[in-house]
This record gives sequence, C-alpha cells and structure tokens, in this order.
Amino acid sequence: MSSFDSPQVPSFAVVFAGIQRGLIRLQRIPSLILPAVLMPIFFVVAFSGSFASIVELEGYETDKAVNWMTAWAVMQGAAFSGMGAGGLAGTDLENGFFDRLRVAPTRPMALIGGLVGYCVCRALIPITAVLIVAFAFLNADMPGGLLGVVMVYLSGVGMSVVMSFLVLGIVFTFKTLKSLAIAQIIMFSSMFLSVGQAPIQAIEGWLHHVAAVNPITNVIRMCRQGFLGEVTWATTQPGLIALLGMMLGTGIWARIRYKKVDA
Amino acid sequence: MSNPIEVTELSRSFGNLRAVDSINLTVTSGEVFGFLGPNGAGKSTAVRMLTTLLKPTSGSARVAGFDVVGDPSAVRKKIGVALQDAAIDPLMTGNELLRLQCVLHGLPKRSSLKRCGDLLERVGLTAAGDRRVGTYSGGMRRRLDLALSLVHEPEVLFLDEPTTGLDPTSRMALWEEVRNLNKDLGTTVFLTTQYLEEADQLAERIAIIDDGKIVREGSPASLKSAVGAPTLRVDVSENDLPLARKAMSHFGEERPARRNRIAIGLVSGTTGITDVLKALDDAGVEIHHVELDEPSLDDVFADATGRRLEGGQV
Repeated sequence: MSSFDSPQVPSFAVVFAGIQRGLIRLQRIPSLILPAVLMPIFFVVAFSGSFASIVELEGYETDKAVNWMTAWAVMQGAAFSGMGAGGLAGTDLENGFFDRLRVAPTRPMALIGGLVGYCVCRALIPITAVLIVAFAFLNADMPGGLLGVVMVYLSGVGMSVVMSFLVLGIVFTFKTLKSLAIAQIIMFSSMFLSVGQAPIQAIEGWLHHVAAVNPITNVIRMCRQGFLGEVTWATTQPGLIALLGMMLGTGIWARIRYKKVDA
Repeated sequence: MSNPIEVTELSRSFGNLRAVDSINLTVTSGEVFGFLGPNGAGKSTAVRMLTTLLKPTSGSARVAGFDVVGDPSAVRKKIGVALQDAAIDPLMTGNELLRLQCVLHGLPKRSSLKRCGDLLERVGLTAAGDRRVGTYSGGMRRRLDLALSLVHEPEVLFLDEPTTGLDPTSRMALWEEVRNLNKDLGTTVFLTTQYLEEADQLAERIAIIDDGKIVREGSPASLKSAVGAPTLRVDVSENDLPLARKAMSHFGEERPARRNRIAIGLVSGTTGITDVLKALDDAGVEIHHVELDEPSLDDVFADATGRRLEGGQV
C-alpha cells in the first residue's frame, strides 16, 4: 500500500483550518469569549463615569472621558482575546491533541498561524462591542471619522496578534494552561505601564520613563487618535512600527519556544 | 526496499532517567509488531521518538525509509499515529476532526469528503459522525482516533496502547479492526501494549521492553517455547511454604510467584503433576490450590526480568 503522495501541505489551508476550529469551539462555548468582551465594556463604562472630570487635566486633549477610555478598553479587550491562543494551545497540550497536530506534516508556523488567526477573529468581537457601547450609550465622538475607526481595529487586531504570540511562547515553554497566569501578569503590566489610562504628561517618576519607552504607548496613541482629532501619519507611523516590531519579536519567540514542546 | 522501521541503539534520557536505553529493532513490511512492557517501561517514549514527537538523546531510527531526526516531515507523511488516551478535541464532531486531519495531511477537499465518509463507515461511526466527540464512549473515541490516523493511508501505523481502559467488547472490536487493516491494506502496524493477550492475539513478532531495554524479541510462539517447561503453581499456607518449596524443588526451577504461592517450571511436563502432588502430600503440605499453565508471554516476561507484568497472572 502507499500513502497519498501529497505535496507539501499548503500552510494557508492549515491556518484557515486552525481558525475554523477555534471559531467552532467558540461557537460551542461562548463563555470562552465572555471575559474578553465584558471586561473592556466594564472598563469603558466604569472609567468614563468615575473619571469624567479627569479630562480637565492637561494632556487629555478631549472634553469627554469616554473618548480617552474607549481606546484603552479596546486594547484591553484585544489583548485579552490574544490570550485565547494560549488557552487553546494549553488545552491541546494538556489533553494530548497538540501531538496530533504536531505529528502532521505541516509547518509549525502554520499551526501557530491558525491559533493567532483565531485570536484575531476573537478580537473583533470585543473591539466591536466596546465601540457599540461607547458610541450608542456613552456618547463617544470620532472626529477622525472612518479612518479613526480603521485605526481602532488595526491597533486592536495588531495587539491581539502580539499577545497571541507572546502567550503561545509562554504556553509552549511550560506546556500547561496554568502558565496563562504568567502571561496575564506580563500582559497587564505591559498595558498598564503605558499611556492607557493617563497621558504621558500626567505620569510621574519611573512610570513616566517606562511609559515613554513602552512600545504599547505608541500603539495606544495610534488607536486613540481618531477619538481625539484627525488621524495623522505622525501618530500612526510610530504605532505601526511598534506593532510590527512587537509582532516580529513575539513571533520569533513563539516559534523558538515551539521547539521546546519537542524537548 | 528498506524495512518500514529500523532502529539502531536508540536512547532517550530525561535528566538522570534513561527512559529508553540503546534499543535495536527492525520491523518488516506488512508486519504487526507488538511492543510489550509494563507501565513506565519506555514504550511510549520509544513511540514518541519513532513518530518524530520526541528527539532521541542518541542512536538513530528510520521510519518508512526516512530518518526521524533528519527528515521528520517525510516521516510524518508516511505514518499514522493513535497515541495513548485517544487525544481528541471533545468539542468537535467526528466529521469535523476527520476533515481537519485531511487538511493537515494536504488531502484535496473533494476527495477528503469521500475519505471521511469511508473511514467513519470503516470504524462504525457513520451515525455518530455529526455528534460531538465529548458524547462518545471510550471505545468510540478509540475508533475515531484510529480513523484519524488513517486519513492519508499511512504506510506505518503506530498504535500506542490502543485498548487501555476499554471494556472487553470494545477491545475485541478494535483488535478486529487492526487485523482487517493489516490484512486488507497491508499496513505495517507498530503496537505498544501492556496487555499480554493483546500482544499474543495481534502481533506476529514481539519485543518485550523493561526499564528502557529490550529484554526479549521474537514471535510469541518462539518466545514461549524458549521459556520451556509449563508452570505449576501451588498455593499453600504461609507455614507450609518452606516444606513445599523443598518438596517441589526436585521437579523444576522455581519461578516468580505471588505471596503464599510457589511456582516451578515443571521439567517433566504436564504428566509430572501427579508426582509433585504426591511429594507435597508426603511432606505433609496442605494444598489450597493448584494450577498448571503452558508458558505464556507473562512467563516470558518473568523469565527475562524476574518479575510479573502488571495485570499478568502470577
């Protein structure tokens, strides 16, 4: 008997199948996405109300707290969605299904791509939900127009890719779902040590210095610009560079740590 | 054409633990090869190396003509793997998992649909194909796992303890399926098991592994005949053990046995049992139970290691 003489398995098909599998699981257990949707909605509602007057401080560049907080909540939701890649890979590693994927003649990056692609699709849900709540119920503005909305989605999707790679690297290293706790600590600390909640002028001491060099600061600025005014290349370019740099770095990290699964 | 599996001095260590210790194996085309050993003997580690999931510490292995370290992708195209515990996503349906498996092996979409239907029929899961795997019984999961490992018509099929945890009916159904696969398609099967009966029933040749080392290799019949005499087991009270041991020692060499039992390889064969019973009676030993067995694979294992296999008769 002979095996099917299949050529090298096309990676795009494997990526698509990975995305499809993730979405099927999501459809069957919708609670998988609930924290990533509810938490940013809670953020934008609670912070916009509690800190309504904070925009009177220098640096906020808007007269409504919701315009500031929506971008922050979008980034939180997108980053949380990125955790889904680690959740799925961790589950597969623990129950052994990941071995079935690994023993197929596919490229590792195709398997990783499927997990990341799934998280990009996941991220669209909280991003859209936060925007709906912000515009429909909290009276948010978008002076940047359609381009501003595009920036929100671009930043959110980019952040979910970065977080997916990062979390996958961690899960591949420890081969357990429990390692998601480490990923959460890294995610929260990197997000909070940025201009997510306050403009750089309002941040003091070492936090100011960290926020200034934190690449996530540039991504949040790119995401937020449409809520504060016109979309400009001067704000978009550093955000794109930061995103691409983080994607490259975390992507290499995930690929390197994938080898650890073999160990 | 080279043999489907050729293993030379293959070893794998985890820290100070040598899980697989310089094993050598050759499996010929179309053969069902049994890899028998107790839990923790190194069976799964060996399979994981042969299926490219784990890198060897030293030695080499070629599967379907390709080196497992040098050309893992080529090996993966040629092998089917059903690992321990039927690792299947319980949220997916049987059909969805089979289609995913087809994509992973690069099968064209059109032929995939037919292939999935054929495989579900082959393993008797057509009616359950659209049900979530989480609702399947253990036997159904194993059969689906087997189907998943067959989507690309592998030359070599690795089954890692395929019937562990299954009820006897499901176990026999799976044995039948493995036999059919081997007979109908000529698939070479590498089967690991801790069940003596499974190895005896399915495998044409067997390697017994213990503490990472292969301690015996050959056909079940040749291995059993090499052990020699049938085993006579006599249960006595603890106080009578020294007397019984002494009386029975004239009839053959003592073999490992459980507490309050003495086992010997009966040199004179089955006809010698009356002489042994008479000797025990003369010695004043009260006999509680007597058994006489032709050599089994468990005897082969005991002969090689001085221990009985878990679950094996002692």
